[in-house]
Amino acid sequence: MRWRQFLTPVTSISTDKAKNIMADQNPEAFNLVDVRQPREYETRHIPGAKLIPIAELDKRLDELDPAKPTLVY
Amino acid sequence: MLAGKGFKNVLNMAGGIKAWDDPVAMGPQEQGLALFDGAESPENTLLIAYSLEAGLRDFYLSMTEKVQSIPVRDLFQKLSEIEIKHQDRLFDEYLLISGKRVDRDSFDKQIAVFAVEGGLTTDEYITLFKPDLDSPGDVVSLAMSIEAQALDLYSRASERGGDERSKAVLLKIAQEERSHLEQLGQLFNDL
Repeated sequence: MRWRQFLTPVTSISTDKAKNIMADQNPEAFNLVDVRQPREYETRHIPGAKLIPIAELDKRLDELDPAKPTLVY
Repeated sequence: MLAGKGFKNVLNMAGGIKAWDDPVAMGPQEQGLALFDGAESPENTLLIAYSLEAGLRDFYLSMTEKVQSIPVRDLFQKLSEIEIKHQDRLFDEYLLISGKRVDRDSFDKQIAVFAVEGGLTTDEYITLFKPDLDSPGDVVSLAMSIEAQALDLYSRASERGGDERSKAVLLKIAQEERSHLEQLGQLFNDL
């Protein structure tokens, strides 16, 4: 069992906090990931978000930099 | 999943997209990217961004002739003037990156305006957002939606790989689009 997966904390933040992070930093300084389905993304998404549906996430992790803060919705 | 794969700082946005009350972008990932096809150099990227700003400015100016309301007409005029400042910024960046000495008139002649910021046509924006063109609030909201679409387009274009300098230029423009959004948000609050 991958215990680390359960022990590493994931922080929940408000949209206001997320907006502050986006406003204060260069787009290259963070990952912004939309893990919903393409149809949901097409209807509306946060500008600049990268679409990686949750089912594809484990296969496409190389598209993200793990050292950067990663905002997920 | 991410936290268990070495991602140091994973931040889950509470409420997801439903809690997001700022302007959103729409459309598939590929939307508008064709605008950048065959123009992968930083200079051409800036040229395209400049032409998109010009398209938006033309749109705002055309709207000053169509709307009846004086405050809305003044607002479209103001929005068109804001776009000139955005174009000034892109032109300065072009001069810096290209090292060329080109005057603004010659530069303007190089551009072909066929879309506005964000990669859609003006008709597509009007159809998409259906603004009440007698409402200053709706007009600023429309402008914010266009800037949001632009921010999204430049971000997606930067993801396509290729020339690293172009990528840096696209990310810089994307960041500037974010500040344009903030300016329009202030304009909205001041109405």
